Amino acid sequence: MPKDPQSDIPARFRVAKTTLLVDRFMNQFIKIGGLSIIVAVFAIFVFILAQVIPLFRDAKVEELKAVQLDAAEYAILGIDEWSELPFALRTDGEFLFADVIGERGLTRKSLPFVTEHGFGAAHYNQLAQRVAIGTRNGKFALVDLHYRPVHAPGGGRSITADPRPGPLYDIGRPGAPITHIAYADAGARKLAVVKQEPAENGGPVELHAVSLTQRRGLVGGGQISVDRSFDLTPLVPGTIDRFLVPAQADAVVVATTEGEIIYLFRQGDRFVVRQTFRPFPESPGPLSTFNFVFGDVTLVVGDQAGSLKGYSLYLAPGAEQRLFGHTKTFPAQKAPGTVFANSVRNKAFVVGSGSHADLLFSTTEDRRWGKSFDFAVTHAVIGGKYDRMVFLDDKHVLHFYRLDDPHPEASFRAFFGKLWYEGSPAPRFDWQSTGGSDDFEPKLSLVPLIFGSLKGTFYALVFAVPIALLAAIYTSQFLKPEIKTVVKPVMEIMASLPSVVLGFLAALWLAPIVETRVPSILLLVTLVPFSAFALGYLWTHASPRVRVLIPHGWEFLVFIPVLLGVGYAAWQMGPALERLLFVVTDPSTGARVADFRLWWPTVTGTPFEQRNSLVVGFMMGFAVIPIIFTISEDALSNVPQSLRSGSLALGASRWQTAFRIVLPTASAGIFSALMIGLGRAVGETMIVVMATGNTPIMEWNIFSGMRTLAANIAVELPEAPHHGTLYRTLFLGAMVLFLLTFLVNTLAEILRQRLRSRFRSVE
Amino acid sequence: MPPVAPTFAASPAGPSPDTPKDPAYTPPPEPSFRPAGESWVWFTSMGLAIGLVMILGLLGLIISNGLAVFWPKPVVQVQLVEGSQAGIRGSPTFGGEHVKTQEKRVTQLDEDGKPLPPAYEYQFYVANRDAYGFSFKYIDRKEVLAITHPANAIVAERFSLGTAIFLPRELRPFESAAIPGDSPEFIPTLERLVQAGNERRREIRQIERHQIGAINRELSRLHLQRRALEHGPNPPADAPARLAAIDARAATLQAEFEGLAARARQLRERQAADTLSYVTLSGAERVTPVAEILDFTLPNQLGFFGKLREFVVRFWKFLSEEPRAANMEGGIFPAIFGTFVMTLLMSVAVTPFGVLAAIYLREYAKQGLFVRCVRIAVNNLAGVPSIVFGVFGLGFFVYMVGGSIDQLFFSLSLPTPTFGTGGVLWASATLALMTVPVVIVSTEEALAAVSRGSREGSLACGASKWQTIQRIVLPASLPGILTGLILAMARGAGEVAPLMLVGVVKLAPTLPIDGIPPFVHLERKFMHLGFHIFDLGFQSPDSEAAKPMVFATTFLLILLVVCLNLGAILIRNHLRKKYKVSTF
Repeated sequence: MPKDPQSDIPARFRVAKTTLLVDRFMNQFIKIGGLSIIVAVFAIFVFILAQVIPLFRDAKVEELKAVQLDAAEYAILGIDEWSELPFALRTDGEFLFADVIGERGLTRKSLPFVTEHGFGAAHYNQLAQRVAIGTRNGKFALVDLHYRPVHAPGGGRSITADPRPGPLYDIGRPGAPITHIAYADAGARKLAVVKQEPAENGGPVELHAVSLTQRRGLVGGGQISVDRSFDLTPLVPGTIDRFLVPAQADAVVVATTEGEIIYLFRQGDRFVVRQTFRPFPESPGPLSTFNFVFGDVTLVVGDQAGSLKGYSLYLAPGAEQRLFGHTKTFPAQKAPGTVFANSVRNKAFVVGSGSHADLLFSTTEDRRWGKSFDFAVTHAVIGGKYDRMVFLDDKHVLHFYRLDDPHPEASFRAFFGKLWYEGSPAPRFDWQSTGGSDDFEPKLSLVPLIFGSLKGTFYALVFAVPIALLAAIYTSQFLKPEIKTVVKPVMEIMASLPSVVLGFLAALWLAPIVETRVPSILLLVTLVPFSAFALGYLWTHASPRVRVLIPHGWEFLVFIPVLLGVGYAAWQMGPALERLLFVVTDPSTGARVADFRLWWPTVTGTPFEQRNSLVVGFMMGFAVIPIIFTISEDALSNVPQSLRSGSLALGASRWQTAFRIVLPTASAGIFSALMIGLGRAVGETMIVVMATGNTPIMEWNIFSGMRTLAANIAVELPEAPHHGTLYRTLFLGAMVLFLLTFLVNTLAEILRQRLRSRFRSVE
Repeated sequence: MPPVAPTFAASPAGPSPDTPKDPAYTPPPEPSFRPAGESWVWFTSMGLAIGLVMILGLLGLIISNGLAVFWPKPVVQVQLVEGSQAGIRGSPTFGGEHVKTQEKRVTQLDEDGKPLPPAYEYQFYVANRDAYGFSFKYIDRKEVLAITHPANAIVAERFSLGTAIFLPRELRPFESAAIPGDSPEFIPTLERLVQAGNERRREIRQIERHQIGAINRELSRLHLQRRALEHGPNPPADAPARLAAIDARAATLQAEFEGLAARARQLRERQAADTLSYVTLSGAERVTPVAEILDFTLPNQLGFFGKLREFVVRFWKFLSEEPRAANMEGGIFPAIFGTFVMTLLMSVAVTPFGVLAAIYLREYAKQGLFVRCVRIAVNNLAGVPSIVFGVFGLGFFVYMVGGSIDQLFFSLSLPTPTFGTGGVLWASATLALMTVPVVIVSTEEALAAVSRGSREGSLACGASKWQTIQRIVLPASLPGILTGLILAMARGAGEVAPLMLVGVVKLAPTLPIDGIPPFVHLERKFMHLGFHIFDLGFQSPDSEAAKPMVFATTFLLILLVVCLNLGAILIRNHLRKKYKVSTF
């Protein structure tokens, strides 16, 4: 081997080949291994970010198929819940089912009763897969579509539909043609409403309603029959344009051609006008868009200029009834919306005008998607799983689209801004990720959680900082160095207490005690510092003979029995203080009671809970005190001895030296200790999970709980569906926590390094 | 308070005879023996005193409560005053273990604003939950006429119904005549029968858990084989023959199963044969199969050493047995074992990675801005909340890695996840990631503390860089590495929040390591001491009754964590003396 660098070295001095090989291998191994471990550790952040990013993506829409339908007029467009067999209803009463997945093409099904009585109007209920059809002679029938999956023997599945009309019911003026119909079924209550052409001898357009009842059969539903008829025409001032019946079947919302909305509500056996309002006072004329969002609480209205607003039912403070109020303003449309379809899974809806369509989300007022087609849209429908969209154009072509929008509820505003949720009287920050009903609106604001984290941190620091700093100053400046080697590890043991233990003690041991003894705690907080001062004063004024009994550096040991004594006294005196100050009349019995738990809500108007911030703050102190103590003690101890010696030599007392010389020099280190303590408190999980009620409230009240980011993750993530919106939102919460603590800690670390170099220059 | 000595404040310094007449001149204060700010020094001492009282008080609370659980308490019988309605179902007496006496909180005031006189109440642990429907009873002191200690009161631990406290009445063994409760034969016979019952229970368990379990495992394996043969992509030519073999084997197993089940049934019938009739302290008569009783004591007849023996026995049972009755009875062995296995796996994972990264940072990387930034970042990673690591562990290890493993190797048993759900492997991986910064930081400190001289000496002797690290640097820094590892273990053992996301459960039917091949089951869910505390305290049906168990578990966890930390601190102090490093 001529190139061997060892070749000119005598053989006995040569390094063994294996040694070199091992050395080279280990060098490479450590370099690659070490670097990759560091990279892997930081990949945590990248991974969490990657889980969060999809939340902020817009909807993706792509065309899957186009099907040519008959050249005819169409009344409604609908789709099954599997989004495989959309249908269009011709105005002559024939259903066209278009198989967009398989190869069956178009199937037709006509309804004999429509041919017989003539087609007036139709209303489609996508959730129930039911069409209500009104005829030209004042009758209507309910047609169940009977969508069913059929499993083929060789595997595979297809959807079939079999529209079956129910009996014909009379409604309104006999024989008058129906021009608009709406129907809602809320189980016990069913309501059908129609608009009928005016009578031949003149008169207004008429509005009639019938309620239906279902006789309870022994098995399943019984016969449906007309229960009561209502003539709503006199209730509506102006010309009736359109109307809606909410799913609760207890009201009718009518829009007039003058642009006014009348909210009719059923009370017993009659309808009353509950509210009349004009959504666009500045532009009179018929509304372009007038539809409910899923849940039938929010009304989307649009004017002829293309503005789009949302009106929601809510109970205003002081009001007795839920009325519509302006809650949302959606992005303006280029043209008045003529086509509307809402999702039956969430609060999304499509508004189309001419050749343009927009997908909007009601909760966030967000535009999820928008497109200008090369055709004019006449009808639209959104698939039952919010994964397909179907448009019908003026050339009678059915366009079948895939809709990929897994997180429509998510947006920057939803997480960090105030939103006006349905049923709420004002915009607010709110966290409520799951609800009982299908039309529940998830509330995903992280603000109450961040607030909760800060609240917990605040109370923990209020308690921990004074104790930790005083202890650090004493330990570093006044304590005998020999005792320090014992005291410091004891304090550090505190840091190792598992937070689940602290949480358990907080909730099951401390909280019940604190609940009944708040006055004692008030006394404790005031008496203990006072006793420290008093003892110091006494000692200062004691004769030197007494003073030598307590050598410097042993004060804390003398203080411990005093502390215990004062603590005991304060504890016992608490009830007396309570009887003196916190007397209140019990509203339930009328007796005068001395009870802080009743006094606090009566005087401040904020609740008193057993598991509150006071308990959490105290227990988090166990987690935070040792951290602040250790780091600030280090900073104080590392102040160069020369500074202290100089100060003492100039005649300053030990307190003057500590307070005027050491403390300012180490201030950066102490600040960084506070930051690291804050980082620990922000991320504390188990104590908060166990010792608070975990309600996402936003108030600083010390006697109520909170819900922190960390606790929220621990409580909700195990139940969150993988890759769902909640799952990703919780990851976002984790990212916020990560960034918060990482930034705070980095700041602290940089400060500490600065401080270290400053000390070096002093020495 | 001695008013004699002058102080700063008390030195207005009246004009002394030799003061010059200059009005601007103020005489120097008389020298004082009272340095300024001593009160403040006392004030700062308060901080340390409070801190020490807090930590020692907390440890004392946990230790005393945790140990008191195992100490047998005397059983008392409470005689109520005539006509009292406070008894259990109107009985004139009741009894149990006295838990505490407390002042009844009186908040109501009389007309003059004076409080009503204080009242006291007792809390008794009455047990016999099956008879009463509750296990604790509060009673006003006014209602109590007398408290006696019945010598023959028995405290029995039962298999499924919790503790019973009763007076014996009659024992009806299956094989011999009935023995009345006051006969001298009674206690020895009861002891013998309880023992026999325990042995039969062990046998039933052996049959049901191990033998039938083995059959079940083989049956499900056969089922998987059959599925692979029937639905596999390309069935082998001899598929029908193999299917027939599978069927034959399954039939044999089924027959074996029938035999074992019959034997278990027979044993169970025998278990119900011996009965004991007893009277609760409130006078209710009840009958129970003797086999239901696991163990019993007569606490009122125990002397100090008897109690001590009972204490040790109960403590050992707590450590070695499995939990019963929704975790509220029995022991916590699976939780101890789970904590142990998880911590062990975590240490195995964290040590090489942490040390490797530290060696790279300290010995190989070019010391510059980049490495400084990395060092700060690694340091700060230790301060990132543990729940964030849990979130990462769930998303990355469980769903991504575990899901992929399932797709690749366990696709036959899908959709039931094997690795795609929380388990001991993912839990340890998550905690390893969480604690790796701790190990990196302390290893780095230890590496930095190795003197330049010994390194250069080694290099000068012709050792290669790796040889220097391997033979000189690493051995010298071993205590530091050990400190880091112990700190990491302590943190890992006490952490619960991330585990809740990645595989800890309230009750795991099987241990992560057992005698069934492949012996180590890393995909299994496990129990953990910390989570056991959370679960018992917050998700059990009766948190008051679970409190003793929680305190005992807490005591154990604290013992573990504090011992680990003390070990780390001792090693560190030793190191400090050895190397005199300023920052640690």
